[in-house]
Amino acid sequence: MPQVRIPTPLRPHTGGNDTVEAEGATVGAVLGQVGEKYPALRERIFDGAELRRFVNVYVNNEDIRYLDDLDTAVGEKDEVSIIPAVAGG
Amino acid sequence: MPFDPSDPLDRYSRQIRFPFFGETGQRKLLNSRVTICGCGALGTVLANHLARAGVGFLRIVDRDFIETHNLQRQILFDENDVAENLPKAEAAARKLRQINSTITIEPVVTDIDHTNILDLVADADLILDGTDNFETRYLINDAAVKLNKPWIFGGVIGSEGQTMTIRPGSTPCLRCLIEDSPPPGMTPTCETAGVLGPAVAIIASFEAVEAIKLLSGAFDALNKELIMVDIWDWTFRRLKVAGLLGKVDCPCCKHHKFEWLDGALGSHTTALCGRNAVQVATRRTEPLNFPEMAARLASLSDVRHNAYMLRFATEGHEFTVFPDGRAIIKGTNDIAKARTLYAQFVGN
Repeated sequence: MPQVRIPTPLRPHTGGNDTVEAEGATVGAVLGQVGEKYPALRERIFDGAELRRFVNVYVNNEDIRYLDDLDTAVGEKDEVSIIPAVAGG
Repeated sequence: MPFDPSDPLDRYSRQIRFPFFGETGQRKLLNSRVTICGCGALGTVLANHLARAGVGFLRIVDRDFIETHNLQRQILFDENDVAENLPKAEAAARKLRQINSTITIEPVVTDIDHTNILDLVADADLILDGTDNFETRYLINDAAVKLNKPWIFGGVIGSEGQTMTIRPGSTPCLRCLIEDSPPPGMTPTCETAGVLGPAVAIIASFEAVEAIKLLSGAFDALNKELIMVDIWDWTFRRLKVAGLLGKVDCPCCKHHKFEWLDGALGSHTTALCGRNAVQVATRRTEPLNFPEMAARLASLSDVRHNAYMLRFATEGHEFTVFPDGRAIIKGTNDIAKARTLYAQFVGN
């Protein structure tokens, strides 16, 4: 199953898990399933059906915005990463 | 015995010996001008590296004074600076002149906003991000794209940081990467989630080495990705973002609409006369999520909210935040201080 990597600031919403497994053939399907399991996480990364504009998603280190966005295909061994903007410094 | 170097390049001999840098690189560095925006945790590490490396002119811009809780990570400051109640830019300049008296350091104590940013960066070869908020970063991004100057973004929270080297026209810009800033209360800040000194030092050091490459002309060696580091779980990643250039319909670098620089986006802050309070107004379309903000601020005293406002107190200041992002901060008349407090506790 594809693995979804959860960044440190969002781990409180996945019970502390740094990776979550989810089924699905596209990024949208995988994140949809993760969002059903963890609604608070969904709220942080989605605004309705769209990804929030300060959250980026990568498949194996590639930004999905120059692939097929949420329709980007994911395979069994692919890794989906959620990367929110980091504000501090 | 006074410090009296006979050879002005001797102090740089160990980096000159580095074959990819050399004396040519050093001479370029000595003729370079850099503006460091913000002199907190990122900014002090940046300024420290670049002053020691021999960047000929460093302008250090910061709006704040040094507080005790800065000393954990802001490496140019010490207890005496807190006792003297010095502005960060001035204290940094004093320390840096002791480290390297042969370069020019220009401290500027001001709040960077859309009215002054162009003046602060117009004569610089490179702009460095030592800020702690997206409002200033988008301003830097607008100014850098408008003036066609490189800049280096860095952000840190907790144990995690990100950095990216931005060269307008050659790489995606910050608005290509992050299309909109997180609304207030939506992301943790260093005040609410904490921050580790080594995490900031690593990101600032990445920024500094990129600065040295850029200023010495080693363009092929530059980072072309978004670097992400988490020092708690040993994550180091290079996320491929080069393909975003041209693919994202970027208002800034594609359409040259400079919404932050024009003042169309960003906060508008006014002192409320006679009330010892400042109003920070942000231009937001989405209402704030008060229950979420309250949970994030739970470590502070007496956080209360209803449908119309959220109120909390910290460090002698009382915050009243409204759903549109506007806030009234009681306990200060100082606009710069209020903007700092807003960035720290509400976010941007």
